[in-house]
Order: sequence, then C-alpha cells, then structure tokens
Amino acid sequence: MAQLTLDELRKKRKEAQKGIYLREGKYKSKIIVHMGTCGIAVGAREIVTAFLEEIEILTEKDVILTTSGCAGLCSMEPMATVELLNSPSVKYGNLTTDKARRIFKEHILGGNIVTDYAIGIGSEKGG
Amino acid sequence: MSDKVGAVAVLGGGISGMQAALDLAESGLKVYLVDNKPAIGGVMAQLDKTFPTNDCAMCTMAPRLVEIGRHKDIEIITLSDIEKIEGEAGNFKVILNKKPRYINEEKCTGCGTCITNCPTRNKVQPIEKTKVELEPQFKDKVTEIIRINKDRKGPLMTILQQINSTFNYLPENVLNYVSQEVGYPLSHILKIATFYSSLSIVPRGKHIINVCMGTACYVKGSGRLMERLSDVLEIKENETTPNMLFTLKLVRCIGCCGLAPAIMIGDNVYGKLTPKDIPGIIEKYKTII
Amino acid sequence: MAVRRIELMLCTGTGCVAGGAFRISEALEKEIQKQGLEKEISVIITGCNGFCGHGPLMLVQPDGIFYGFLTPEDIPFLVQEHFLKGRPVKKLMFSPPEKKEPVPLLSEIPFFKKQLLIVLRNRGIIDPEKIDEYIARDGFTALEKVLTSMTPDDVINEITRSGLRGRGGAGFPTGTKWKICRAEQKMPKYIICNCDEGDPGAFMDRSVFESDPLSAMEGMIIGGYAIGASHGYIYARSEYPLAIKRMNLSISSAKDYGLMGKNILGTDFSFDLEIRQGSGAFVCGEETSLILSIEGRGPEPIQRPPFPAQSGIWGCPTVINNVETWATIPVIINRGADWFSKIGTETSKGTKIFSLVGKINNAGLIEVPMGITLKEIVYDIGGGIPDNKKFKAVQTGGPSGGCIPYSMIDIPIDFESLIEAGSMMGSGGMIVMDEDTCMVDVAKFFIQFTNDESCGKCTTCRDGSEALHKVLTDITNGDGKEVDLEFLEEVGNAIKDASACGLGTTLPNPVLSTLKYFRDEYEAHIKERRCPALVCKNLIKYYILPEKCTGCKLCLKNCPPGAIKGELKHIHIIDQSKCTKCGTCLDVCPPKVSAIIKVSGKEMENITGIEEPYPVKRKGGKNET
Repeated sequence: MAQLTLDELRKKRKEAQKGIYLREGKYKSKIIVHMGTCGIAVGAREIVTAFLEEIEILTEKDVILTTSGCAGLCSMEPMATVELLNSPSVKYGNLTTDKARRIFKEHILGGNIVTDYAIGIGSEKGG
Repeated sequence: MSDKVGAVAVLGGGISGMQAALDLAESGLKVYLVDNKPAIGGVMAQLDKTFPTNDCAMCTMAPRLVEIGRHKDIEIITLSDIEKIEGEAGNFKVILNKKPRYINEEKCTGCGTCITNCPTRNKVQPIEKTKVELEPQFKDKVTEIIRINKDRKGPLMTILQQINSTFNYLPENVLNYVSQEVGYPLSHILKIATFYSSLSIVPRGKHIINVCMGTACYVKGSGRLMERLSDVLEIKENETTPNMLFTLKLVRCIGCCGLAPAIMIGDNVYGKLTPKDIPGIIEKYKTII
Repeated sequence: MAVRRIELMLCTGTGCVAGGAFRISEALEKEIQKQGLEKEISVIITGCNGFCGHGPLMLVQPDGIFYGFLTPEDIPFLVQEHFLKGRPVKKLMFSPPEKKEPVPLLSEIPFFKKQLLIVLRNRGIIDPEKIDEYIARDGFTALEKVLTSMTPDDVINEITRSGLRGRGGAGFPTGTKWKICRAEQKMPKYIICNCDEGDPGAFMDRSVFESDPLSAMEGMIIGGYAIGASHGYIYARSEYPLAIKRMNLSISSAKDYGLMGKNILGTDFSFDLEIRQGSGAFVCGEETSLILSIEGRGPEPIQRPPFPAQSGIWGCPTVINNVETWATIPVIINRGADWFSKIGTETSKGTKIFSLVGKINNAGLIEVPMGITLKEIVYDIGGGIPDNKKFKAVQTGGPSGGCIPYSMIDIPIDFESLIEAGSMMGSGGMIVMDEDTCMVDVAKFFIQFTNDESCGKCTTCRDGSEALHKVLTDITNGDGKEVDLEFLEEVGNAIKDASACGLGTTLPNPVLSTLKYFRDEYEAHIKERRCPALVCKNLIKYYILPEKCTGCKLCLKNCPPGAIKGELKHIHIIDQSKCTKCGTCLDVCPPKVSAIIKVSGKEMENITGIEEPYPVKRKGGKNET
C-alpha cells in the first residue's frame, strides 16, 4: 500500500469509524426486533435482514439494531420497537419487509411515526 | 610495651600486606615483606578504581609504595616462595626460595632502558587458529541466522536467541563458529550465553516446562506444582529427562497472574492448576512427539 | 465494511488464550454459521480485557453484556438464546460472590465501575491486529497534531506541564527526561521502550501490547519527534510471545500506511522501530543494563551519571521509558496537559495500571486514578478476599517493594505515600495476601528471587542477599535465633547503602518492611517454632481429625508418598515419618468432610502418627459417606 498523506489518514479514520460504531455506545436510534419463537416463525429474521440492509446504505451510522425476546403480543408478530433518543419508544406490529423499510425511512430517518402500523407508543414499564 | 624484640615476616605484598608492614615497622619492628611476584602491589595495582566508593586505586596505594621503599626497617623480598615455616608463635623460622632475577637489584635504578631495548619484547606471539567448520545438522540454519543478523547493530543477542530457539540449546561448536564469523571473542559469547536464564549451553528436552514462580503464583502454591512435576518426571529443577522429552525450569513470572498458579509448556500456558492436574498434562505431551 | 447487528468482543489476552479463548471463537463461528447468522454477527478478537480471573470472557456489543468463564459447550445454547432470540443467558454472567442475582452489564460490574481508562482506553474495544480499528478510535490524531501544529519544544512543554512521571517504578518526570535529551548535541538520538517486565506479579506491559500495541508505538514516534530521534527499540521479554507477535504485526502495518518509516505522513520526519528480545534476566529491566543487553554486552548495570538521556545506547543520547508511559503520551497530546493534570494527586498525576492478583476475588488488570485508596482497590474493585479469609497485606513494587499491612489500608496510592509506607510504586504489581500467607516465607521468596537475579557485580548485593536468604531459610526451617532479626536489619541496611543499581538498593525492602509490620510472625517462628499461617513445612504437621474422617480412602489413594494408613470406613492416620507435607490430602478431602487440618507450634507435639486405623463410629453407629 502506498504511504498515506494527512488527508488520506483522516479519510481512512472516518471510514474505519463506521466499522466500530457498535462498540462505542453512541447512537441516536435503536431498533429492537422481537425474536421469540412466534416472531421467528412468522418471519422476524427477514425483518432483521431488511433493517440491516437499510443501515448498510447509511453514511452516518448512528442506528443500532438489537433483538429481544417475545413481547407478549404473539398475534401481532413480527414486531419491532423503535426508540429515538429523547422520545418515547414506538411499537410496530404485523411487519413485512416493505413495512420495515418504510418505517426505517419515515420514522428513523425522518422522525415521523408511521401511524399506519404503530400499535402503541411508550413501553410497558415507562408508560 | 617499650622494647620491641625480633622481626616479623609479612607474607604477601598486596595492599593489606603493605599496610600491615608499615604499621608494624612504625611500631618499631623489623619487617620482611615477602611476595612471589616480581614486585609488591598485588591486585590493587591492576585496578583503576575500587568498589564501592570508586576511589582511584593508584592514589590509595602509591603513597604506601613509596613509604615502604624508603622505610629503613622494611626489607622487601620479591620473587620468593615459602619453602617451609617452622616454630611456634613468637619464634618462627621461615625458609624462602628466591628465584633468580638476572638483574643486580643493588645497582638497578629502575630507569627502564632495558625494557625498551629488549629485542624479544612486544613481538606478536601468534596462536595457531584452525578454521571452525560446522556439523551438517547445524550448518544451513546457523549460516542463515548469521547472514540475516550480521549487519544489524549489536547482533549477538539476536543471533544467540535464534540459535537457542532453533536447536533448544547453544552447541559448543556453533558458538565457536559464531565467534569466528561475527568477530566476538568466545569468552564474551560464553558470558552472554550463561548470563541469561533462557539461553542454555547444555541440550534440553523437546518440551520445556516453565513453572511460574511469580509472587502471585507463589502465594497460590506454585512451589507445590514444582514438587509434583519433579515427582512425576523424576527430575529436579533445571534437569532434563533421559528420553530428552522434558526439561523442568523455574521462571520468574510469565505475566498470567490472573491465572495463578500457572505453568508454561512451550508457548502454551496452563493456569489455575492444582498438583493433581499435573500428571494429566504431562501425559498429553508424552504423546505429542 | 458490512454492517453487523451484534459484535462479540472476545478477549484473547494470554490469560484467556490459556483458558481456551480460541476454542471459544471456533465454537462461536461454527454455531453462528449453523444458525445462519454470519451476516448479522461478527466475532472480534480483542486484547486483554483485564478481568483475567474470569476468562475466557466476552463482551456483547452494542448491549454491553458481559459473559465470563465460557466453555465451548456453552456456545450453542448462548448463540441460540441470546443472539437469535434475544434472551441474554444469566448463568454465564458475572455474579458477585455474596449476591445471587447476576450483573449483566459490563459497565455495572464493580470491577469495571471504579476504573478510569486512559492507557487502556482501547482494551477490549479494538482488534489489536487491525490498524484500522486503532485509527478509528482516534489513533494517530496525536501524531497528526504534533507533526502539523507543534514544535518539538511545544511537545516537551506539554508533557512537562502534564506532570506525567515515569510508570516504570522510579517516577522520574518524563518531560524533564526528554528535555535533558533534547539539549544534548550528539547525534543520532534513540528512543527505547522498556517492555522487560520482570517484576513477578505484574503484567500491564504485556497487556498493553496485547490489546493496543499501536498506542505505545504512537507515543514513541511522538517522543522521537520531540527529542529528534529517528530510530527506536522495543525491548520485550521473550516470555511474551503473543505480545511480540502483535508488535511485529503493528509495525509492519504502520509501515504500510506510512505512519512509520521514512517521511511520515508526507513530512520530513522519519522514524523506525525495531524489536529486541530479552532472554530472561531480571536485571535487564534496569535501564543501563537493558541498553547493554541490546548492544550485546554483558548486562551489568553501570554507574549513573551519565544518564542514558545524555549517553545511552551506542553512546548516544537515549530516552528510555516504560510501555505505560509511552501509551499515555498520545492521550496527553490529544486532550491536553490541563485535562491530564486534573486527574490524580498533587505530585502524582494521571492514572496507573495495577495488576491486582493473589488472594483476591476479581483478579485482573485495573487502571485507576492516582490517589485512590488501597481499600477501594481491594474491596470495591477487587471484591475482597475469597472464602471470607482475613486480609493480611498487599505487596506492591515487585521484589523491590514492600508489604503494606491491613492497618494501613486507607493510604492513598501515589508515589510518595507508598515510599513512606516502606514500599514503592514499582511497575504496578499488587499482590494480595490473606491469613494463609506466611510473611517470613514471602520475604524469603523475594530474597531468593533477587539472589538469583543479582548480576553479581556488587559484593553487597551478591553476597548480602545470600546471607539474608540463609538466615531466612533457617527461620522458616525452625532453626532461627533471636539475634537473627537484628542481623537481618543490619545486613539489609548495609546492602541498601552500598549497591550500585536499583536492584541492590531496594533488595532488602521486602525483609525490612515485613520485619517492621509483621515482627510477631518472625518471633513466632523463632521463639515458638510456630508458623502462624501454616505454610513453613518444617513447622507444620498434617493431621486427620478422627471426629470428622469418614474413612472414604480418597486421601489415601492420592497420597504421593503413600504416607496415609487406613481402610474403608476406618479413621485414616498420617504416618508423620513418611509425610512429605505436599498437601494433596487437604486438596482432595471433600469440602463437606474437611477432616484434614494443619497444625503448628505446641500442638504438633501430640501428633505422632503411630496409631493404627480404627473403625469410624458416629452417633447411633451411623456413618457419613
């Protein structure tokens, strides 16, 4: 490899930071896909893949994706919870990959709750 | 103590002998200062500085030398060996064997002209050196190691480490060869080879077992691991099993203190051991041949 | 780089590797493949995480969940439950000994809570074998800053103002050292990184190079710029193969990127690094002797002055600093001297890494701000002493340090306080000792160590340590005399006064400090022929309590010299004439029976070991099994 100049090093750093953003705990929004047995059975895995693909095209990587267990509302699976920083979390149900992509674009990037699919605002604990 | 009777022989004309002779002579006794060297002065005359104060050696002894030379009651007898001592305290008889000096000491002024004009002095006395050849099993690897490292600054350590890790020890002839090729005296190479604990000049086993004796391992009982290993292998520390499989060594901390007590076999670390784990581990290595 | 949903930060420091970390990573990869998760989850191999006592261990990001004591068998379950179904597995989490509920988050574990990571800022976060990850964590920003906006004098001033002191033990101000070296006219100049970590019980240098090798190297390059050197050496112990491997990798990738070598980042500053290995000699950690060792000369310390900063390797001005010092440099440059000097105490700035080991629950590597009390380290971070044993002392400073007793547990940890307590900072080993540790035996251990490692140049050190060792051996063998204690003090002080290098002048510290704080233990050995901690073999006997022995034959079968007599359901007897006091019987006796005890002093007189085994008889004739 050729030697780096100062600018190339800075560019490289920006590039590399995308690779490790998960470890630094800095993120603006968080998507939780509920992956209980019921969720997996009706396609939660595809939802995860869809979200991942959307994250991949982002230039600013500030979205993290995690999974959790069954949310208890098995009839509405696959479900996902979206948490934006400083605002209550929103639960979506009966997801498909297309719905997931729309939620990603409108809610996570745009900041507008997709009321068509939302089944509840706020989490059980926080109210 | 008013009248001093008799004479004293001081055997050895080093710095302590000289001081003793002066003290005795000052107190009024006749002193014979005997040395088997051509001159008095001893080891201190060869030193630049003395330990631990780093005082100049010659500054300490030169005044004493001069004083002894001048003292009327001190007789210096050099180039002499003790033949026989008989008698008892207060009444000794000493027989000396004085070697020839070929110079009339009475007349010599110590001008040094004879030294500068001596025809045989300063002649180089060549020692016949035979060229060292390596045994075939060492040749390729050793020449390669020397080739890679020879032009680095301070190559000796690296060369010795690589030879040591390749053959598990430093064969004598290889050291001769290194001395010849890299240009360090053999004595220096041996000094280095014997100073460091991971270099060895005797053959060692295929698997080197290092028992960590760091503080953490020690307080958690690595001494007992050592005993057990020694029991199981039937060798003591720093020994090698007759089948050349294992060498047992003690090492000062391998830095795995969180796993204390630990041992290291080759590059593998085994931690949190108790003596009863030992036989199993050894058994495993016996099968890796 | 493809996006992942979960990253598994698997520790591969030497400790965890010994515990099978690479087997864990194989098992993880396999199971992730099997579940079809390979596009969503990646396993990142990181350096030492510090919590070595709980290895092999792993941190799950971005959740921050910590798993310890992993085995390959746990992996399939873990992958399915947590990574597929999102249910963290409680049984693999850290649980504090006194509480039943495990602590899932790494950030909540007390061991990590009180630490302040500066030198170890990247531990467990980056893959030490990938330079890109170091760059991503602000790697080489300090070098950029130095090369573009600071003169060498600016750099030295910044370091001086930060109050950074050498982390190798002596605590010499780093800025001052650099200044002396810069002022020297002679060229070329050299940089050396001292990674000959000989102190038993210390492994911070190894850990830094295993988890974040480039931070120390960046520090060295900056140092080179500051003093005007273009060549550096890292002197590493040959006992650290993994660290050396990672150093080599880092050097070659940094050279590829032009961050090392000729014309760094297109400037006219060049700097090259070379690794030299030690061969197992403790004295080579002393700076003059380390330099001689690199040169291939006999590594016997030489008199200072001249200091290496004036005349070091190949007779040229040389700055030699410890790994930890070098790794601190980039942070100081990045965040400024003011920020750094706010951490710590008046005279000791910043943080220090300690290896907290020995008889402690949470053994591992910790980085704490200077001035923290010993109590906080032992009880809050270390989690106290295992098995509810009593804390006796902490040994700091390696063989040159001393033992700090329980009564002084509130002292703040900084250079001056430790010296006042008769110990020293040293490279940062902290070995915790409990009531089962015999202080006379510990003193003997250290003297044996220094006696072995003395290069033999100074008579006081070479023969003095021999004399101390002989007397201490006599005491632990039960042949001590009362005058011995005075003798130890006298000889100890003489060695201190008359040796040339640091090894000799500090060698008697373990003896003198234990004599000061634990004189009663020495006296028990001498006057009562009793070892209070039941360690010294000649002063103890093993004994089977007849009221507890169930006659299970376990000890009998395991006894190496065959010194135990007995048969099934018969009280076993130890034949004292055959017993080698290896302690195997004590290890194998089941904890609920615990019939074997050690006794010392007067109690030994009644134990002869000549009785014959007799049947076990308990209440109502019922036997326990």
